[in-house]
Amino acid sequence: MRAGQVLLIVIAVIGLSCASSIAVIAISKFRRGRADVRSRALLAPYRHALIAIASGEDEDGQAKTALSALPAPTWDRLRPSVVAFLPKVRGTPADDLGELLRSHGEIERATRMLTSRSAIRRTRAAYLLGLVRDPNSAALVLPLLGDPDADVRLVAARALGAIGEPSAASGVLHALRTYHGQIGLPAWVAAEALLAMGVQIAPALRIGLASEDPAVRNVCALVAGHGTFASAAPQLRILLATDSEGDVRASAAVALGRVGGAEDEAALARHTDASETTALRRTCATALGDLGQRESLDTLAGLLDDGDRRLAQLAADALVRIGSEGITRLKEAAAGQCPSARVARGALDLAGLRGQLPVSAEES
Amino acid sequence: MTWSDFVEGSRHVISAIMGLVATPVLIYFLVVNTSLLVLIGLAAWEFLRQNRRKGYAGREETVASQLAQGVSVVLPSYNEEAVIVTSVQAMLSMRYPRHEVIVVDDGSTDATFEHLRRAFELVPVQREVPSDLPTRGTIVDVHIPRDGRTRLVVVRKENSGKSDAINVGINAAVEPLVVFVDADSILDPDALIVVTKPFADDPTRVVATGGVIRAANGCKVVDGRIVEVNLAKPWIVRIQVVEYLRAFLLGRTGWSRFGALILISGAFGMFRRDVLVEVGGLNPDSIGEDFELVLRIHRHMIENRRDYRVQFVAEPVSWTEVPMTATVLRGQRKRWHRGLWETLWKYRGMAFNPRYGRVGLVAIPYYWAFELIAPLLELVGLILVVLGFALGVVSTPYALMFLAVAYGYAILVTLVAMAVEELTFHKYTRWRDLGTILLASVLENVGYRQATAWWRLEGWWASLRGKKQVWGTMTRQGFDDESCAVTRSERR
Repeated sequence: MRAGQVLLIVIAVIGLSCASSIAVIAISKFRRGRADVRSRALLAPYRHALIAIASGEDEDGQAKTALSALPAPTWDRLRPSVVAFLPKVRGTPADDLGELLRSHGEIERATRMLTSRSAIRRTRAAYLLGLVRDPNSAALVLPLLGDPDADVRLVAARALGAIGEPSAASGVLHALRTYHGQIGLPAWVAAEALLAMGVQIAPALRIGLASEDPAVRNVCALVAGHGTFASAAPQLRILLATDSEGDVRASAAVALGRVGGAEDEAALARHTDASETTALRRTCATALGDLGQRESLDTLAGLLDDGDRRLAQLAADALVRIGSEGITRLKEAAAGQCPSARVARGALDLAGLRGQLPVSAEES
Repeated sequence: MTWSDFVEGSRHVISAIMGLVATPVLIYFLVVNTSLLVLIGLAAWEFLRQNRRKGYAGREETVASQLAQGVSVVLPSYNEEAVIVTSVQAMLSMRYPRHEVIVVDDGSTDATFEHLRRAFELVPVQREVPSDLPTRGTIVDVHIPRDGRTRLVVVRKENSGKSDAINVGINAAVEPLVVFVDADSILDPDALIVVTKPFADDPTRVVATGGVIRAANGCKVVDGRIVEVNLAKPWIVRIQVVEYLRAFLLGRTGWSRFGALILISGAFGMFRRDVLVEVGGLNPDSIGEDFELVLRIHRHMIENRRDYRVQFVAEPVSWTEVPMTATVLRGQRKRWHRGLWETLWKYRGMAFNPRYGRVGLVAIPYYWAFELIAPLLELVGLILVVLGFALGVVSTPYALMFLAVAYGYAILVTLVAMAVEELTFHKYTRWRDLGTILLASVLENVGYRQATAWWRLEGWWASLRGKKQVWGTMTRQGFDDESCAVTRSERR
């Protein structure tokens, strides 16, 4: 075959491929446009009823009754709008939308789909069950925390958090582990789920704080702080003092700032020492501010001159949060000429704008 | 030697050169475009995966999360009086649970700061900006809103260039994630939620993410938000829309999927602040500062044996005005290519080095072979074809077939990219716009492509000659008032 003939064949193939691409673009656009128009026309009569339910204005239940009676083809079109509303509403509107889904057999369908071979279907099913916060679904969603698909595990954890099932806490913590190089559940998803499960997760949290897995200890420390689990304080002290992982120690420090007491001041202050990592020093300075103990004043005032200027800023902010005695220290520092003066003046400026200064201090 | 002898001699020379290079050049074209097709295929796969996750991505949960990592949005600005207030308002009102906006006014000579001061009731504070990164421009002062609560910080400094301004912004940032956004860019409201997601899902490994850039020209903007996506009238803009779609959206998504993304646009990139500090921030002396930064991060991470990821997120969109005149476009392309060359040369040790994995073995050699050298080969090929015609060395049908294969394949790649866009994001909803983009994908190959190839070579040549980079002037429209054309000087 001559070169010219080869080129001609190539040109023909390219031309056909170009025409096919244009056809795909045009057909896709046409079909989407037509589907949108149809969908809008079909849904128009029911939009008002749906909005009435979602906004909690369906007091007589008429809208819910009307939408519950929709035939299957119409419901199929309306369903995505109902599901889209659910994460945005709470209370009665959420319950009503959940009932609407149940009346159309969506919950049973989702329950069946939890064991589907398709990961996408399992994920969608878990998502829907989480959205409707059906407590009976918790036991069914729980096994998905060990699903081979990462998305399924993630959505299952969120769903269990939304349902608020405390017995799932240990399962969520277990899902944090990394197996065969595959990353476990993202820490923030696990922590959010655990926080949503309420105070009854305290026993699981205590076990988690002693886990061999640093990811589990870290999440438990985060949750202990954000959820103000005061009973976790003794274990948090141990983590701050001895844990081999910097992230875990930092999370324990944050938590102690929130749930600790006067007895924790010395430990937190010790970890602002220059021999510690930058991240831990900064975290501990902030935690001292959260703790609000006057015993921290010397430590924090001493940090105003530190070479890590971000640490100095955090220390100054912490002094403001401690209150009038902290502000007095800042004023003393601001009067000087050393590096602490500027950072102290900056913190006082900000506190003044926020109305955090006592009247006499603002005037001066 | 007579004229006819000269012509005959030239004929022999051109004929010999053509015989030697015609097939390799054609194969080069085919390989370039096939590699683009592969990247588009990878991108389509990634879009499919992302689209399937959209239904349960949990954006509302992220918005409400008390554990979301905080973000510092750094806006370097220089003479941005037309857009700065709208831009800052839009950034402050983005959906995200914890973010601050840091405007670094890089010695503007217009009323940029005055507009900010009035709009946000700024007052000076004696806030110290840490020196985690070395910077050049002296900081003049720091301002925050009078209420002390709005998370806006305006740092005024002497003019020292965009990269240095960003470094000052990084120093002033207090959140663990930092995103750089051009003051004249418009972000989608959920952009921060989506671009931070890789960090949230894999906080220890993800060190940088980039979002897609699209052309804002012609779009309807209200209060700093794109409310209607339209195409601008000038063909020079329409062709750039096609280019951005192919190179920024699909090309970078493909590289990200392959695990070797080495370029995140400076107009919209998010980084872990601690990593930025570790690597020394942006290099103020680099022309391609965004490219240079990402390559430096790759090198640093690999040399320190750190497990890390650099990802591209296709969905959050940053809209930016693209050049509307050939003069501005020329300056931009010269700068881009010069930056490409200087960065590739600086990191030449990484090319074909197995130590750097896919980045060293695939991505960097690809950029050398198909990004840096492409304009040179394209123009050489064209010159040869023209000379061949003039001297009667090549037959017209053969030459036309040659060009049809080379450019036809390029058009096909663009059309496939458009098909992927239409099947996934379909941002351009009007039939007319779609038809226009289709036409632009063809017209791109007639004049525009050759002109940009030439401009790119100019940039490369200027660098080789050691010529000082001169920043051009970028004419921009204000966001809200389309009649208000504003001239903004780009600077170093």
